[in-house]
Parts: sequence; C-alpha cells; structure tokens
Amino acid sequence: MNALARSPGADPFASRLPVTLITGFLGSGKTTLLRRLLAHPGMRNAAVVINEYGDVPLDHELVAASSEQMTLLSNGCLCCTLRTDLQETLRELFVKRRAGEVIDFDRVFVETTGLADPIPVLHTLQTDGLLGAQYRLNGVVTVVDAVNGMRTLDAQPEAVKQAAVADRIVVSKTDLAPPAAVERLTERLRAMNGYAQLATAVQGEVDPAWLANIAPARASAAEEELERWLPRAAAARRAAGESGALTGALRSVGGTHDAGIDSFCLWFDRPFTWERLNAALQTLAALRGPDLLRMKGIVHVAGEPAPLVIQGAQHVFHPPVALAAGQRTDPRSRIVFIVRDIPRASIESLFAAVCSL
Amino acid sequence: MSPTPTATLAGPGARADRALSLNMKLLAHHSLEGFGGMGEGMAMQQAKDGRRILWMAHEAAPKNFTAVDVTEPGAPKLVVQTELPHAKVRSNSLDVVGDTMVVAYQTQSVGDRPAGFDIFDISTPEKPKLVAHFDRSGPHSRGVHAVWFVDGEYVHMASGAPDFEPTHPNDDQFYQVVDVRNPLKPAEAGRWWLPGTRIDDGAPPPTRLDPKFDVGFRAHNTNVFPERPDRAYVGYIDGGAVILDIADKSKPKLVAHWRYSPPFNGFCHTVLPLFGRGLLIVSDECVQDDGRDWPKMVWVVDARDETNLVPVATFPSPPHATFAHRGGRFGAHNLHENLPLPASFRSDQLIVGTWFNAGVRAYDVSNPFQPQEVAYYVPAAPAMAPTGAVQLNDVYVDDRRIVYTVDRHVGGLYVLEMSV
Repeated sequence: MNALARSPGADPFASRLPVTLITGFLGSGKTTLLRRLLAHPGMRNAAVVINEYGDVPLDHELVAASSEQMTLLSNGCLCCTLRTDLQETLRELFVKRRAGEVIDFDRVFVETTGLADPIPVLHTLQTDGLLGAQYRLNGVVTVVDAVNGMRTLDAQPEAVKQAAVADRIVVSKTDLAPPAAVERLTERLRAMNGYAQLATAVQGEVDPAWLANIAPARASAAEEELERWLPRAAAARRAAGESGALTGALRSVGGTHDAGIDSFCLWFDRPFTWERLNAALQTLAALRGPDLLRMKGIVHVAGEPAPLVIQGAQHVFHPPVALAAGQRTDPRSRIVFIVRDIPRASIESLFAAVCSL
Repeated sequence: MSPTPTATLAGPGARADRALSLNMKLLAHHSLEGFGGMGEGMAMQQAKDGRRILWMAHEAAPKNFTAVDVTEPGAPKLVVQTELPHAKVRSNSLDVVGDTMVVAYQTQSVGDRPAGFDIFDISTPEKPKLVAHFDRSGPHSRGVHAVWFVDGEYVHMASGAPDFEPTHPNDDQFYQVVDVRNPLKPAEAGRWWLPGTRIDDGAPPPTRLDPKFDVGFRAHNTNVFPERPDRAYVGYIDGGAVILDIADKSKPKLVAHWRYSPPFNGFCHTVLPLFGRGLLIVSDECVQDDGRDWPKMVWVVDARDETNLVPVATFPSPPHATFAHRGGRFGAHNLHENLPLPASFRSDQLIVGTWFNAGVRAYDVSNPFQPQEVAYYVPAAPAMAPTGAVQLNDVYVDDRRIVYTVDRHVGGLYVLEMSV
C-alpha cells in the first residue's frame, strides 16, 4: 500500500497546486515582474514565496497586513518570505491553507535569489514525497535583463544555468537597451534554450496566462496545451519554418558565448518499453547527471493506455505522470534535453543502442 | 487597488463568509427557490428522455422534496418542488430506483401522521404520481427517518411501527424491511431491534449515554448491497455499528456489534462496507452546535472477520481550531454511499462525506491505516444562515465525479467538480 497513492481516476495534474519558479540574476527585474503579475485579477488567489523583501518592494498598495513571515496583499494574494528552506515553507503554507489560516491559494510563485541555482529547487518538488503529493511544478520562468544580460551571461555561470533550464524567458528592460542589443541577447538565449518560449517585457508587463499556464493543468490536456509546455520544434526552427540552415547559423551565434549548453528534441516513432526507457535515462543520469540540466518529454510506453509526462533535472526525475487516455496526441514520443557538453549524437546513440537490445 | 489593511492574519478559514476549497471547484449553486433547507435524502434518476434528475428530500416543512435537472452540472434547473401536508412532518430521506421513488415521513410527535413512506412513480419527473403510502404510525411511532431502496424490491429503513413500544422514547426507530415488489401493497418482511429497546423483549435495556449525549438506541442508515444481499449494515446511533444477517429477511440475526460510545459521544450514522477490501467506513453524526459533542468522526474499521470489527484509523478531521466555533455543527455526517445504481459514483478508494460547517470532504483510503484528505469545499455562509455558517448535510456523487451537496438550513444545492 502506498500512502501517497491517489485514487483511481484522480487527475494527477489538476489535483496538485502548480508551483512556478521565478528566477533571474540580481537586478534582472524578477520582483517587478511579480508585482505586475500579482496585480492581475486572475492572480488574486496566488501565494508568492520570496527570499526577502528586496530593494524593489512589492507595491505598498498591495500590502494589506503582515505577520512575521506572511503578508496578505490587499488583492487577496499571500506573500511569505522563505523560511529555513523551501520545503519547510511550502509544507507550512499547505498546512496553514488546510487549517484556513491563510487563503486557499490556487498557485504558488517562488522567487529565487539572484544567485540561486534553480535546479536544487526543482529537486525539492521532485524528492519530497509530501510536497509532491500536494504540489506540482508548473515551470521555470527566467528573467534576463536586456541592459546587463549579455555581460551577466558572460561572467556568471549561474545566470547561464538559469536561462538554460527555463520554460519561459522574459527579456526585461527592453525599453532601456538598443534594439540591436536586445536582438543579440534574444538570439543567444534562443540558441542556448530553443525550447523555452521567450517574450520581451517593459516594466514587467507580460501576459499573466503565458506565465501561469505552462505545464499541463489536467490529464485530459489537448495537444495545444502540451505544446505550451513542450514545443514540438525549437523557437528558432519555428521562426524559420523548420529551416535547418538558419538553426545552424543561430546555434553558431550562441555557441560563441555559451559553448557547451545545447537544447534539442529527440523523437521516437515506436513506443518504449519501461525497461528500455528506464535504462536509457538511468545510464544518462549516472554517467552525465550533472550536465543533464533539464529533461522533459511526452512518451509512449508499450502497455500504457495513454502517453506519460516525464521530466527531470540532473540526476533526479519526477515520477512519470499519465495523461488521460483517449486524447488526440502525437503518436510519437518526444524528449527535450537541455545539456552541457553532451553531444546530441551521444544521447541519440545511447537511446538507439538501448532500444535495439 | 485601494489599501484595505486588516488587523491580523486571522485565517479566512475561521471566517464563515469565505469559501475554502482544495481540488473541488464550484460549478453551480441553486437556492431551490428560497427553500434551501435540505435533509439527507439525495438520489439520481436517469430519466427515459436522457435527463439526469437529482431528487432531494427537505430537512423540514413546508417542502417535501425537490427535483433538479443536473444534466448540465453547471446549469441546474428546477424540475418540481412539492409540499408536505402539514408543518409537523418532515421527509428527510428518499431513494430512487428507475422511475420509482420512495420518500420517508417522520412526524414531530408520536401518534401523528403521515408516518411511514410514500412510493411515487416519477416517470414524468415534472409530475410525481403517488402510487402507495405505507403507514407506520402508532402510539409510540414517529414514522420513518431514513430509507434505503436500491433494488426496486425491498425498502430497508429506520422506522417506528404501530405495534412497537420502546423502553425509552428515544429508541423508537428500529430496522425494518418492507417488500415493495407489488408497489400497490407494501408489506413488512422483517424487523430487528437492539435487544432491550422494546418493552418486554426479555433483554435488559442498554446502558444509556450521558444525558448530554443521549439521542437513543435506534437505527439510522440501513444499507444492503447486491454484493452481500444477506447482510444489512446499520448505523445504530448510540448503539454503534451493527451487521445483520438478513438471508432470511423475516428473521434478521445479529452478526456483529461494534459499540464505541462511551467513551465517545454517540450517534453512529452510516456503516459503509468496502467489499473486496474487508473494510467498513463508519460515520458519526454531529448533532450539537459549537463543537459540544466533538469529536464526531469517520472511522475505518477492519471487517475481514465480520464478527470481530476492529477500528484501525479515523479520517483526519478538519482543524478543530478553525471550525469548532465557526457557527453551527462541526463534525462528520453523511457519506456518499456507493449506491449500486448506474448514475452513482462507486469507489472503494475515495470516500466523500459532509462535515456541516467544515463542508464536503474527500478522502483517499487506499491505505486504510492512514486515510488522506485529498479534496474539500466549504461554501461561504449562505444568506440568512441561522447559525452564521454553512451546514452541509448530505452528499451524492455521480458517475461523472460531480459532487452534489446540500445545506441543512437555507443554502440549497451546491454542484462541484472534483479533480481527485
């Protein structure tokens, strides 16, 4: 018997509260983004976890009441500072929610410190069984500042990592940087992480839905919803209408800056077996875990009635989650890899070898 | 956005004007034309024209029962609402099989009428047609409190009877089986009462609970399922949980009796078997306001040996500090009873129950030793709520996982979507 098992028929997506990680280097505009986001009426039941009340405070008009660690914003949002660790904070939030001591928030935004490596935060949700029963990862949003972003990416490996693992990249302060510089930065980010959707923002102004609805929110998610989380083609390909030549050109642009970081999608026409999928992923994690920055996929496994959502970062993988049977989805499996210094061909050969055995 | 400082972070849970939810979303609320005080009878008809009709018994006069078309759960439509003959009777309970509905009647005083049940033909839901009345009135009878009717042949019920004189006035309603195979002529098929609760039955009367909790040794829910047609699972109020052998309906025999009050505070309400898992889910009913009869719980009972019932867990209670003084009753009550009928949700893993002011809650019992709360919805206090809080009384879950729940006093019907 599994204490955390859900009843048959439970929706493993809809029954968990979505957690969105907002990351970005110091001064990139994370708080400004959050402030604009929380002012949106659709976000009135959001909880935000911030590390500290920073230089750019959440609007005074938004702050209605506060206790030592928790602040209720006047639009209904809940804001709390990170306690000793994120695990404890998220657990406490859920316990207080159930006790009716805080609003029954319907989503959580976690703002990391500028210097944070986001991957351990992803691991928190993956490895803590109690948290995993109540929360699910919606996605990673990385804010990159158009004015200083290039320099930061050159000088700070953590900033590169933040952009590399993102599901959404917001290029901020585009009104303060020359258009050519914004374009160069955008190209560099796309080359590094072509599977993240990218938008530019002035004063944190982005479409809240674009940030709030990243991962599938229900097992019966249609292909369009899956596409929001796992695009079928990289941004550069999409922009160029699948022109391989242009992708190559962009990749060389990116390569000059961020040699080693690469993102690509592998497609598999035939369903996996559990054994082969596990063997391939475990081998990859065992041999190159630290360089497997992010992996996410929608895979078909023989004998399973519906495709499964898989994701992981470095050596830690989420348990696979089944989509609802009967949905119209691509019959092929696809897995996006964001890696450091691992040639695409190596991973292709690994899967080919394992699948041929 | 204007600043609206509040003094403290006093939780919204303690504020009865705030709804609380987890994994349940409100699709619709129907005030039932202002008569939103609902009892503990909810049943779904799949009408021949394809509509799903939810039938609900009222808690008290003047209304008898109300039917709502819930084919589209987000847009419930009133179909019919009927009147009771007078103000000193209540229907409280009903069940539906096909196009036949059985409605209970319980009077405020013994000797009054109607005290029994009605059988209706509801093939035209807008025009329920009375088929027969089964009279259980008598000098010591208030009639029927709860009916169980799922096979179209027998009504199992908690009722008084014309010939039954209890040793204590609180012990008037006992288990009875009524044969309705000829709906024009319902006939008693059998009965069982807790020994000692009928005058001169030869057994010593049971030791009563502390007067502040004594609500009687009488039957409440009397469930019989096709998996075990030879068993009746009976909540016997202050007497605890009872399993009866009804292989011979004319002579029910006691199989097991689990009495847990005292030390607890009485009112065993529902005994829900989870066949195949050897478990019973047993719910209490809270009957006092302001937490005065706390704790009222839902129990998980190991029934692998049905003659030796062993409690192994209780459902995690909603937080006492949040709800005990939120207004009105706070504690367990009705469960969705896995009705063996086509429109009903059936699960031996997920149990849904009402908790009065703590709303409706769903529990994952896949691990019987450690039930988990996985969903809840607590409506904000309905307008004019006499206790100042919602008092969710009963729940029905359909095969689409739509949860229907009703307020005991004024709030009417809430339709919820469950994502667990």
